[in-house]
Amino acid sequence: MPETLTPQSEELLEQEPDQLASADRPWVTIVWNDPINLMSYVTHVFMTVFGYPKAKAEKLMLDVHHRGRAVVSSGTRERMELDVTTLHGYGLWATARHDS
Amino acid sequence: MGDGSARQLSDLVKFRRRRGVPELQLDEMETALLGSLLDDLLDALGTLPEDDPVRQRWFPDGYRDDVEAAAEFRALTEAGLRDDKAARTERCRAELPTGSGELPLPAEAAERWLTVLNDLRLALGTRLGVTQDEPTDIDPADPRAQSWVIYYWLTTLQDGLVQTAMR
Repeated sequence: MPETLTPQSEELLEQEPDQLASADRPWVTIVWNDPINLMSYVTHVFMTVFGYPKAKAEKLMLDVHHRGRAVVSSGTRERMELDVTTLHGYGLWATARHDS
Repeated sequence: MGDGSARQLSDLVKFRRRRGVPELQLDEMETALLGSLLDDLLDALGTLPEDDPVRQRWFPDGYRDDVEAAAEFRALTEAGLRDDKAARTERCRAELPTGSGELPLPAEAAERWLTVLNDLRLALGTRLGVTQDEPTDIDPADPRAQSWVIYYWLTTLQDGLVQTAMR
């Protein structure tokens, strides 16, 4: 990832949920960076769990890697808790958050 | 995140395909090591106290800034996640060859082994205090040198498997 994006991560992150979460999808699942999970594995998990194409899964993985976290899905609170549980099953560090 | 592509131990890990199905060739030392790691994993899943860092890493909070919601989420999910981990580990343990041999990895098994290898790496990496993405040289004088060798071997194994599974 270009280093120029890094210092702006906070603003970028604030914008990101808007792209995914509209008024009727007010909850998001966030994946946080950690030093143990492999980049290849995290990409694979995003493809497997969400059915994302490889390019999108890799972009999300790189967002997590370089910015420290990324919004990986949005929807109802129940749906997000399911996503978080599934990601925990794969060993990823995921949390749910209301996108207020 | 870590990058498993550049370790000197990669020549120890041998994947090949037989009639389209990936398989991992393991020597006697490797099956013995994996068997013992899987036994330890099963044991740890059943015995680690709540405040153990490995247990916390396996079952992280589902909410970051809401203690109550995190506790509620944990009460609903942790036991099920732990049972799933134990069941996967037991199945992998049962599939492991005795002595040297081939471990066939059709899609379901590959996915399961990937996750179990990740559980092992999370545990070992947490115990070793892995904090940086890039692999570092192992100091032979470090009393934990052997654990680092095992950690990086598992890393190479998992990365090799994910490359095979994602093809």
